[in-house]
Amino acid sequence: MPGGHASELSRHMTPRALRCLVALLALLAASCGGARDEGAGTGRLAVTAGPTATDVARSTSRALAEDPATAVGAAANGDPDRGRALVLEYECNRCHDGTGQPAIATERHCTHCHEDIATGRFGAGTPRIAEWKRSVLPYRHAPTLDDLGKRLRPGWVARFVHEPYDVRPNLAATMPRLALDAGKAADLAAYLTRDAPRERDVALAGSAAAGRALMEAKGCGGCHVFSGVPALPSTPALGDAIRRTAAELAPDLRHTRDRFRRDALVPWLLAPSSLKPTTLMPSHSLTEREATDIATYVLETPLAPRDDTPVVKRLPLLARTVTYSEIERRVLAITCRHCHGDPDVAGGDGGPGNTGGFGFSPRGLDLSSYRSASAGLLGRDGERHSLFERTKDGTPLLVAALVARREEEAGRAPGDVRGMPLGLPSVGAEEVQLVETWIAQGRPR
Amino acid sequence: MNSLSRIVGSAVFVASGVFAATLLAPADARACGGEWYPMMQVDPRIQGTDKAEDALDEGKTLAAAGSVIRMIPHIRQLDVTKTKIVQRASRVLALATVRYDGALPLSLEVPYYAQGTWLGRTDAQRRANLDWATKTLRAIASARHDDPAARTELAEGLARVDATRGEARGILEELAKKDLITSPDGYAVLATLRERDGDAEGRRAALDRCKAMSPNAAACRADTRAS
Repeated sequence: MPGGHASELSRHMTPRALRCLVALLALLAASCGGARDEGAGTGRLAVTAGPTATDVARSTSRALAEDPATAVGAAANGDPDRGRALVLEYECNRCHDGTGQPAIATERHCTHCHEDIATGRFGAGTPRIAEWKRSVLPYRHAPTLDDLGKRLRPGWVARFVHEPYDVRPNLAATMPRLALDAGKAADLAAYLTRDAPRERDVALAGSAAAGRALMEAKGCGGCHVFSGVPALPSTPALGDAIRRTAAELAPDLRHTRDRFRRDALVPWLLAPSSLKPTTLMPSHSLTEREATDIATYVLETPLAPRDDTPVVKRLPLLARTVTYSEIERRVLAITCRHCHGDPDVAGGDGGPGNTGGFGFSPRGLDLSSYRSASAGLLGRDGERHSLFERTKDGTPLLVAALVARREEEAGRAPGDVRGMPLGLPSVGAEEVQLVETWIAQGRPR
Repeated sequence: MNSLSRIVGSAVFVASGVFAATLLAPADARACGGEWYPMMQVDPRIQGTDKAEDALDEGKTLAAAGSVIRMIPHIRQLDVTKTKIVQRASRVLALATVRYDGALPLSLEVPYYAQGTWLGRTDAQRRANLDWATKTLRAIASARHDDPAARTELAEGLARVDATRGEARGILEELAKKDLITSPDGYAVLATLRERDGDAEGRRAALDRCKAMSPNAAACRADTRAS
């Protein structure tokens, strides 16, 4: 009997040794028990630290059912329920806060990852971190989507999501042109503006001239551009980091009449944080009269038409030889590989343009080497196509994509080819010329 | 005697306690007074394979092959699809083997005890090397589904063997139609295959593409590519 052996053994132990052994085992058992609790606790924490997508979806669904104000979302011809699912599908929470969904993991989150790199918190310990820091500086901010419906019109949100353009002149235009149709854009807009009351038609009876004078006196031009009107006097935003960030996020006021709710502009000017608690727009202690004057100027002053000269000047082909190494150094390595990378060296994630993301299905385009770039991409027909295949007007696909990005930035109607680099500033005319020359020369390695 | 049995008994009891403690120890090392980490050792094959791939791209075929054999002398015994690093290293060695027609003159690159049959001193060794290379390239192409780069390289290997030349040409013609041949070497092989089949114009066109892609004119010597 085991118990018999134990009592036999215990007879041979000195009381002191027995006490030590019992104490040792008790200590071990206690620590292990604690560890199990801790482990289990950690497991529970991992599940409950933030609401899961399902939890959020359920709670939002309840809110939508209970709050009559959310009927506005449906009134914008979009379905907020479908929009909520689309926020996850298109990974809006990969760049934006305030989507109503938990932020995506930092290593896949645009601005969180860039912020970590810029502030030295990124733990890669790679010698290239200094180079990365320089690269990410223009891409540290994306506007939060908190309380969007209190300020912006659902219809404009839908149009912008469908065909984004450069709203914030001091911030890199990083909103990607997603693979969605107008119906899905309306669903997304309905979800993002779901908590807003219906917009009231407001007649503004202020003085536009007084509004202009006030804007000059208050220094609005320090952060905002207002294209289409005589330039507002500006002082460069060289102050603290918060002021610089505010200037980056400040939209071109030309777009206010399309994007901002007419009934929200005066309340916004009087107390910006009442409509968006996290805003960097300062309160200028305006009277209601002054706010109305500014709103009248911003919404009703005539605007000069936009400059419609062609954005893209296609430079002639170069006479000298252009090799792949030059294309790699000047174009591919700077922008393209962020989304068209080699999944074998990135834990299986080749980026949205290769293994999928932002709602894009995997297209299998890897621009990490000459060999992989020559292997083309998966077309919508499921077949492989060359990156240098000619489009309808005879332009190679790669060149057409680079050119299309410049058109998108200028707010022109996008064509069949999606502009590249997606959600990043367009490459310069000289870079396009290099790529075009390289292709015309037979793509020398 | 009595004291000896007490000592033995105590030792057995303590040993049982330690044994029990080992069994009770949790998987989570934090429970035992701090976290324990294994010493991380950097796998030199990753950087080595990277360099071998660069060497192959630069036309330093023997240097690339030698580097792979020195790093992984038993590579022939490994399952090529098992890990990415083995797949990448195998691809480099297989392509080098194909480009040297199964006989790699590596006596100065690789120590004698690692040379194995790679030097292809006999016809049987050379054929066995080519056989391994084509099997390897086929396994990679199969693992990478429709990847035109893997298919171009498979065709390069298949073109070395009489029985599979037709298959090689079929692959390359299909890729060429879509402008998806991924290397000048692929076009050089296509030129040779077209020449064999009496297509002089097709040969010229393929050689022109090869020369446009490759700064190294020697890479486009069609006569050495599918002999």
